[in-house]
Amino acid sequence: MHFLELSQVNFHYPKQEKLALDNINLEIEQKSITAVIGPNGSGKTTLSKVMIGVFPATGGKILLQGDPVSELSLAEIGRSIGYVFQNPDLQLFCGTVAEEIGFGLINRGCEPDRVKEKVDFYLDYFQLAEYRNAFPLHLSQGEKQRVAIASVLAAEPEFLILDEPTIGLDTYRKKILEGYLQKIACSGRGMVLISHDMSFVNRLADRVIQMENGHIVDDGDWKGNNGYDA
Amino acid sequence: MDAVTVKDLSYQYWSEGPWVLKNINFQVARGEMLVITGLSGCGKSTLCYCLSGIAGHRRDGVMQGQVLVNGKDVQELRAASLALEAGMVFQDPDTQLFSSSVEDEIAFGPENICLPPGDIRARVDNVLDLLGISSLMEANPYHLSGGEKHLVALAAVLALDPPVLILDEVMSRLDKQGVQRVADVLKRLRAAGKTIIAVEHRLETVTFADQLMVLAKGTLARLGPIETILADQEFLAAQHLTD
Repeated sequence: MHFLELSQVNFHYPKQEKLALDNINLEIEQKSITAVIGPNGSGKTTLSKVMIGVFPATGGKILLQGDPVSELSLAEIGRSIGYVFQNPDLQLFCGTVAEEIGFGLINRGCEPDRVKEKVDFYLDYFQLAEYRNAFPLHLSQGEKQRVAIASVLAAEPEFLILDEPTIGLDTYRKKILEGYLQKIACSGRGMVLISHDMSFVNRLADRVIQMENGHIVDDGDWKGNNGYDA
Repeated sequence: MDAVTVKDLSYQYWSEGPWVLKNINFQVARGEMLVITGLSGCGKSTLCYCLSGIAGHRRDGVMQGQVLVNGKDVQELRAASLALEAGMVFQDPDTQLFSSSVEDEIAFGPENICLPPGDIRARVDNVLDLLGISSLMEANPYHLSGGEKHLVALAAVLALDPPVLILDEVMSRLDKQGVQRVADVLKRLRAAGKTIIAVEHRLETVTFADQLMVLAKGTLARLGPIETILADQEFLAAQHLTD
């Protein structure tokens, strides 16, 4: 059984005739790092939002670990897949950075001591400790991005989807993120990375899917440097 | 006269808060392109807000020193006048877009300076063509991808034709073709005499700029010709700016 399976999936936005996703057939395994690349407006973000049921597919079938996504609640999907939005402003809502990172853990019934331990770890790892009590929306874009990523990672979902996670990140913090994503991939938790940052994609992905005009036009398996044009 | 002059600039977002910028001094000549880089949280966007006059008009903010754009003190100009001197594209295009169509978004500025309808039409068509987004003219900006939204925000600023452009990571969401197109547009605008100040992390996309400024924790760590600083690998490594 594949972790995610999309069969003949179509999607169009309300009041628009043009298909944003056109006959997508795709299987994704839990232990892989799959990158989705393609020009602006080719359907990368739409594909990821359809995968997690935020946008209901207008045609076709999506199975998450064998269950139709259309029959699962967003909370059920969210327990399996952690999603980092392209714009962290859409994701941050707590009064402090520490609360933001701990929110998912508390809502999964994690013991307070364990929540504190994990929050401290992620604050340190993503160099956010000095902002522990800061209001997340007062931070810089790169810092907000790191808080959003840390919040999703802290909940330790089985699978991750990260939409343009390197936007706003400096080179140094990008390397820190790369290292962590490699580590969790080694522990068997895979991910879909949507990115224009080809040096990031080439270093991390073992499969690269290329989209154009709502279609998948290339799907390649390589390990290491994929040689995609940066 | 320099297009932008910054003297002893310091800034805090509220009076008890930390100084986000500390005693910054620099000038940018007319027709020059300056790139600002540095680690996240070092003050790059705040410096953009100071240059575009936004920071100086915040009720809670404390701005010390002086920012002159085309010889005019940004703290003494009204927002509407400032937009004609320095146009800013924000890091997050969602904070900038508000119209229900791309065409309306771009026409908003020219309409508000009361240009004749024919001139507004020409400006809208020109910037759409310049940025290669004519096909998006009727689209709702909120239905576009992140990269497309950034191009629309840039188009809306270019339609006002300000002499100084302040671009906060405008290439970060663009695909390879988009980056190349924007780079070409920036070169053309600079050749036409525009002054460009651009924040970027991916310095390989802006090697054609004239000057590079590296900020570190709110202070100016280095400012000089971009090729000189990019050649100084030791300095870049110390600043954690190497790939």
